[in-house]
Amino acid sequence: MNSRIGQARTLESPDQAAPAGAVSQDDSAALREAQQNWQALRFEPAIAAGTRKPLFTTQALRWPINPLYTPLDLESVGFDYLRDVGFPGEFPYTRGTDPAGNRARLWTMAQVTGFGTGRDWSKRARFMLDQGLQGLILEHDLPTTNGYDSDNPLVAGEVGRAGLAIDTLEDLESALDVPFDRLKYLMSVCNAPQPVNLAMLIATLEKKGVDPATFTLHMVNGILIEYTCVGRYIYPPRHGLRIATDVIEYTIRNHPNWMPLSIISAQLYAARANPVQELAFGISIAFAYMDAALERGFDVDTLAPYFHFVTGVDMDFFEAVCKLRAFRKVWATLLRDRYGAKRSESLKLRIMTSPGTMSLTLQQPLNNITRLATMALSCALGGAGETMTTPLHDEAHALPADEAIRVGAAVQHIVAHETGVADTIDPLAGSYYVETLTRKIETEVLAEIARIDAMGGALGAIERGYFQRELGREQYERNRDLETGARKLVGVNHLKKPEERAELDMFRLDEASEIRQIEQLQQYRANRDQAQVAAALQAVRDAAAGTENLVPPILAAVRAHATHGEICDAMREVFGVYRPDAQLTGI
Amino acid sequence: MNSTSRPIRVLLAKLGLDTHTIGITVIAHALRDAGMEVIFTGLKQTPEMVVSTAIQEDVDVVGISSLSAAHMRHVPKVLELLHQQGAEDKLVVIGGVVPEADAQRLREMGVHEVFTMGAQTADVVNYIRQWITERDRSAARA
Repeated sequence: MNSRIGQARTLESPDQAAPAGAVSQDDSAALREAQQNWQALRFEPAIAAGTRKPLFTTQALRWPINPLYTPLDLESVGFDYLRDVGFPGEFPYTRGTDPAGNRARLWTMAQVTGFGTGRDWSKRARFMLDQGLQGLILEHDLPTTNGYDSDNPLVAGEVGRAGLAIDTLEDLESALDVPFDRLKYLMSVCNAPQPVNLAMLIATLEKKGVDPATFTLHMVNGILIEYTCVGRYIYPPRHGLRIATDVIEYTIRNHPNWMPLSIISAQLYAARANPVQELAFGISIAFAYMDAALERGFDVDTLAPYFHFVTGVDMDFFEAVCKLRAFRKVWATLLRDRYGAKRSESLKLRIMTSPGTMSLTLQQPLNNITRLATMALSCALGGAGETMTTPLHDEAHALPADEAIRVGAAVQHIVAHETGVADTIDPLAGSYYVETLTRKIETEVLAEIARIDAMGGALGAIERGYFQRELGREQYERNRDLETGARKLVGVNHLKKPEERAELDMFRLDEASEIRQIEQLQQYRANRDQAQVAAALQAVRDAAAGTENLVPPILAAVRAHATHGEICDAMREVFGVYRPDAQLTGI
Repeated sequence: MNSTSRPIRVLLAKLGLDTHTIGITVIAHALRDAGMEVIFTGLKQTPEMVVSTAIQEDVDVVGISSLSAAHMRHVPKVLELLHQQGAEDKLVVIGGVVPEADAQRLREMGVHEVFTMGAQTADVVNYIRQWITERDRSAARA
């Protein structure tokens, strides 16, 4: 190669074998020489006079960042435009799954809500729709997600606190007192007891006369993440996977326009998974569901379009952008090569992007508006997916105040309408840094998935505590970066205000709502045909002990007015309760 | 129980349905790095389970992590049970999201210290070491 230095370009025939987008060899040699000269003559003297640190790394992956990226970096990662990037809406979908990107339509703008009783929730939901939001996310409280009724002594103090309390069909009916004509999208987050939640939603829509085909219900149904980091599990992992697969099977066969599965890899991210871990763990978890559902007789091209992810975004702008781009490519590649999917709809990654609450600070909460805007911008530039959900700037303090909801919605509109980033497709493509980092993330994700495969996939990795330990280590190291100042966080270890006190207008939960909830529940239990409930719960136990799909007997139990906790208890009697020993917790 | 001949033993606990574990994980690693023995109760514990483990494992410190609003229900019960079972000699510290008014009440009830967001792991390590040193010093005097 050195022999080519100094040769005139016109004397060289173009190298036909060189991949499109790469530099030819003589260009490359000339460039290398020019870059070395720049480095020695310009950069080194400037850096010697500089005041910042000598080495920089990406925030979560801690990968070294070069001072400058050039076409030589693309060459070193073997970048090939058509193979690695291609065109929007075409394999490998790096530039987006929609052929027109954001030019045809913007992402759906959503926010999470859920607290108190059904009536509290519907009032809040109407307010949020009035702020220009079209999608809502229904978060349940801890008693509900852990499969307990509100009057269980274990759950005192938690009813309606971190989400909506759903004990009975009536609770869901009053929560869903919303204008369905304005609601395009409803996501329900309820992992361990998802079949109970699904049954209640079906029964509620029936009673309200809402046509289930008019809107999209997304269920999270992501029990494997709970064993990995969130902890809201009930039954042992293998039973959890069976229950989740029952929901997938029932939904596809009975409500084919609904989405029975969202893998909230954002929860891995919130548990400090780095971008490679988020994608590798999240995709492996998806494949555990895929394999289980394939065993129910579906083919991959029927199943794959039902898979949906909620992916987290943190403050490192380029890690975020490149992760989103790599995610689409890895998903499409593995669906094609591992599962033999043929339809383009099977290869397209469906995601909601979710700037993370873990990137926000309790200190100086107004600074969080800047963080939200930056993360929304990286989502928009990386490819926001169908939906973006932004948290609120005061979320680190308490449940969000009305003003925070308004500002949170405005952040997405400002990014979409005022910055121009949504006006051309994948505008960061071709950046030497962006393409190099995208390619590196992709390579490392594939290597990590191969390691997880060797453990027996996600279920094997969970059962041996691998995900949990890896996340525990990241949590410790990330915290150490803050304590040592290796990472600066404004208001926390940089530009700190001494003796700061929170001064924002906080939303306060009505303390009486727990008591009200329990009274209503007990009244509901008193006014029903008890023999019918007992028989329906026995049918749930029988189904759990066998292999029949659990959703139909659970739906019958819901219609017979069995409560959420009673149905979960019926399954507890058959499946047992998961109590992992300490090594399986990552602590 | 001569603590100079053994490492400081700490029980870390999660009570009720609060499954936020990042803080407790970071603290567990930091205490182990500082040479302490850390025992974790697992998630979804009742006050009875925590106190029984604390006594059975003969720990010096009970550290409770709380990031939901249920600390005012669970922590007083833990203190009461420790007292009832003659184990009130243990250091009881809370970490997590606890409003100052609640922290004040918990201290009055017998919690030794409450570490909230922004506390450094070194603060927790030093606090525990200092308390144990003082405990041993006054035991030697007695």
